[in-house]
Amino acid sequence: MSIFCLGVNHKTAPVEIREKLAFAEKTLPDSLREILGVGEIEETVILSTCNRVEVYGAASLTASALDSLSNFLIGHFDVDGHEVEFYRHESEQAAHHLFEVASGLDSMVLGETEIFGQVKKAYATAQEAGATGKRMNKLFQQSFSIGKLVRSNSKIQHGSTSIGSVAVDLAEKIFGDLTGCKVMIVGAGEMSRTTAQSMVSRGASGIIVSNRSYDKAVELAELLNGSAMRFDDWETALRDVDILISSTSAPHPIIHAKAVDSHMKERRGNPLLLIDIAVPRDIEDEVRHIGDAYLFNIDQLTKIAEEGKSRREEQILFCRNLIAEHIEEKGIAALKSIPGDTTDRPPLDTNRPITNP
Amino acid sequence: MDLLSLTISTLFFLGGFASSVWKVRSGTYHHGYTNLVLIGAGFIFQCFFLYSRGQLHGRCPITSGAEILVFIAWSLAIMYFILGRAFRLSLVGAFTAPILVILHLPALIITLFNPAEPNPTDSMDPWLEMHAAMSLLAYGAFALAAVSGLMYLIQNRQLKSGSPGLLSFNLPPIRYLAAALLRLIIIGLLLLTVGVISAFFMRTAPSRLHLSVSGGVWFVYAAVLIYHLVKRPPAHWLSMASLIAFGFALITLSVI
Repeated sequence: MSIFCLGVNHKTAPVEIREKLAFAEKTLPDSLREILGVGEIEETVILSTCNRVEVYGAASLTASALDSLSNFLIGHFDVDGHEVEFYRHESEQAAHHLFEVASGLDSMVLGETEIFGQVKKAYATAQEAGATGKRMNKLFQQSFSIGKLVRSNSKIQHGSTSIGSVAVDLAEKIFGDLTGCKVMIVGAGEMSRTTAQSMVSRGASGIIVSNRSYDKAVELAELLNGSAMRFDDWETALRDVDILISSTSAPHPIIHAKAVDSHMKERRGNPLLLIDIAVPRDIEDEVRHIGDAYLFNIDQLTKIAEEGKSRREEQILFCRNLIAEHIEEKGIAALKSIPGDTTDRPPLDTNRPITNP
Repeated sequence: MDLLSLTISTLFFLGGFASSVWKVRSGTYHHGYTNLVLIGAGFIFQCFFLYSRGQLHGRCPITSGAEILVFIAWSLAIMYFILGRAFRLSLVGAFTAPILVILHLPALIITLFNPAEPNPTDSMDPWLEMHAAMSLLAYGAFALAAVSGLMYLIQNRQLKSGSPGLLSFNLPPIRYLAAALLRLIIIGLLLLTVGVISAFFMRTAPSRLHLSVSGGVWFVYAAVLIYHLVKRPPAHWLSMASLIAFGFALITLSVI
């Protein structure tokens, strides 16, 4: 018996296809049981996230199991077989693929941590549904060990890679814990919303939204559990907020150094982070010279995010070597001979080079 | 014995500094406690040195320039263990270690060329001991305040530049640094106040120069603190002031 993986991810299929193939969380146990009845598949785990839909499994004849599974998925989701192209990995390649997925090396945002929890959850769901056996247990347990190994021994998680996470990191470099930090959004655009949401996810509260269209401000404030403010009044709140995110479509700066300077005197030494994601810029550049005021514009945020991405990309090879060393030392547990399994094939030579899937 | 203890202690502090530099460069500063362990080991040998000198003189070991420097370094190490970590100041050890080395090196040279002679006193004056010990502990707090101030200025510069680098990633947040800096100046000033008041109870009245110097350092830090609390200037002002004031305190020490 051997293991396999069949699926699509953000690299091989557009979102239009991925969303058609996504397994609903509620029906996942039923889907797992259905797959167990396909092509002599004896064990299975479904990993269904926004960036990937993958079915891992164990079967005696993996090639025919993969064909049957592919046909099953096409029928199950009622998709055109020509528009979906599943990738297929068997034995070492399947294991290696899961190890990279759990380590965040196959993620859209390289090194992101969310996938590790998603893999754990997928395995737990399959276990509860009774869809796992010795092979899947060993495979997934090993993937968790490798995921932890890679994350704690490399810099794959270092640095931020999106505007929102860069803004949060900068806020934490200024305020430390963001719990209780007050955030004001000037201009209710999409970028402001995602950046503010990132701040809220780290504990920021007291969101104030100010926009030329008051209705839009109210709408966004409700979404963020904050309060709306008339555009003419936003400056009065400057004294009390810790973080200001600005993204209006004004053709010239609306936040002037003189105004910030006079408010800073009233803040009695409390720092103020100003994030300007508007083009043309909303905040006068002279603001950066004011003591305790920290200004970042869209170019600076993008540059930091790009540097973060490059630093992570530089780590890919190092992480792959960590995985290879681990496999060289311990082998692939799910492919080793399991007592009582009569369908076992001879032990694999795990020292042979691994082809990157 | 004392020379050996001081040498080993200095080497441990040097190791702590080297380890910090290496870890910051490799981006793994947050992993492990190497720096803390190395400074801790250096501190133990520092205690051996001060203990052996204390035994030699039969009193608080602050009878020579070398001993005063080591005593200040000891105070700084104590402040680092107690306050540096309590204030969640990541990387403070990396900045403390080189200052410990800087304080130890001249002490080591002095000890190497001028072996210690017993310097007992006819009668113990607890107020004198109190004055000296509290004043030097205050210097330890002021040294750590200067370390925090320097870290603040570096972090501030990194953030103001718009492209903070790897060092910024390892440095503590601006707000923590500013809070720690203020608390350390307050602690140092309280300790120095006790030290200065003790001087008035000493059996032998201190010289006018000695009193002026102690009072001068006290006055400088009190002025910095009052100005900060009343006017609330930007935090980089307090950071600059802590560095300048500590420089002044070190200069006055050579006068004493």
